[in-house]
Amino acid sequence: MEVQLDFVSAETLARKGSAEKISFILDKIKRNIIVVLEEALEPREEAELIEATMREIDAEEFHGIEFYRIDSRARGLREKIAEYISGRRHGLTIVGPTRLIEAIKREPDYISMLMKVDIPLEEKKRGRKKRKGGK
Amino acid sequence: MLGELKKSLQKLLRIFKRKKQIQLGFYGPVNAGKTTLANRISLDWLGKEVGTVSEVPHETRAVQKIENIVVTTNNGELRMNIVDMPGIATQVDYKSFKAFGMSEEEAKARAREATKGVIEAIKWLDNVDAVLVVLDSTQDPYTQVNVTIIGNLEARGIPMIIVANKIDLPEAQPESIASAFPQHVVVPISAATGENIEKLYEAIQKHLT
Repeated sequence: MEVQLDFVSAETLARKGSAEKISFILDKIKRNIIVVLEEALEPREEAELIEATMREIDAEEFHGIEFYRIDSRARGLREKIAEYISGRRHGLTIVGPTRLIEAIKREPDYISMLMKVDIPLEEKKRGRKKRKGGK
Repeated sequence: MLGELKKSLQKLLRIFKRKKQIQLGFYGPVNAGKTTLANRISLDWLGKEVGTVSEVPHETRAVQKIENIVVTTNNGELRMNIVDMPGIATQVDYKSFKAFGMSEEEAKARAREATKGVIEAIKWLDNVDAVLVVLDSTQDPYTQVNVTIIGNLEARGIPMIIVANKIDLPEAQPESIASAFPQHVVVPISAATGENIEKLYEAIQKHLT
């Protein structure tokens, strides 16, 4: 099974309003693409994303999303001013369809994403051999 | 920066606009015990339960309002309307309901109602004066749903208390909720047994009115 991850730059996102951003994300998610945004979504945008997701859910094709915001927002006044002027909200947001993402979990030193990818048995065996130093 | 200025102004406005009766919303993820808590408060002060509680996710699929509750604490009287919200979720798969013995049609209908409930709960964010964020203290608090709920309340300047529920269960870790959200008041309770409920009433009176 192929998995597609699209990385979207902060510059691209800065050109979009909130509503446009949400529909841009959901359009990709519904095509089974995992999206990594080069910005931290605002809480209100997250609520809009959940609301829009609920409207799109249908029994057969689309059951919802998993997402996680990794926030590295500016804390000092100088950084806050720079962030305000640039309009860039530092951090990352990962969004994907529940069909592909089992869970995104915060660990003490990293964020862990558990994916549902069906790898054929033969490929799994080859992977194991490689890790052990075999051919 | 503008957001923080707006939040400070909202806080200041709330001080001047203190209401005699607050509209208290119950928010949280699915199956955290919001309706159990609403029932506990309603039973304590109105003598009746208001909502159905079960292990099936999305049991509460529409907003339930309990009006004119008057709570008496050591510090006086507390008047409130409770608005028990459907649990917030990012996914609803009808197949998960079939595991509880529902037919395909029943499960699909429940899933449709559940999605509408989540939308309704989000829309209500603009109509509550204060919020109890009810979290299950047997679960990892660092979930995106929890962060989104709390982030939205902060962004709107809505005062909140985090309720670390289900402390009657042996695996409960209310301290992990307190360390996940150190900037907020956290009250550990058991809505099922009523443990610490008096502390919650006092905290509501102190921090939300």
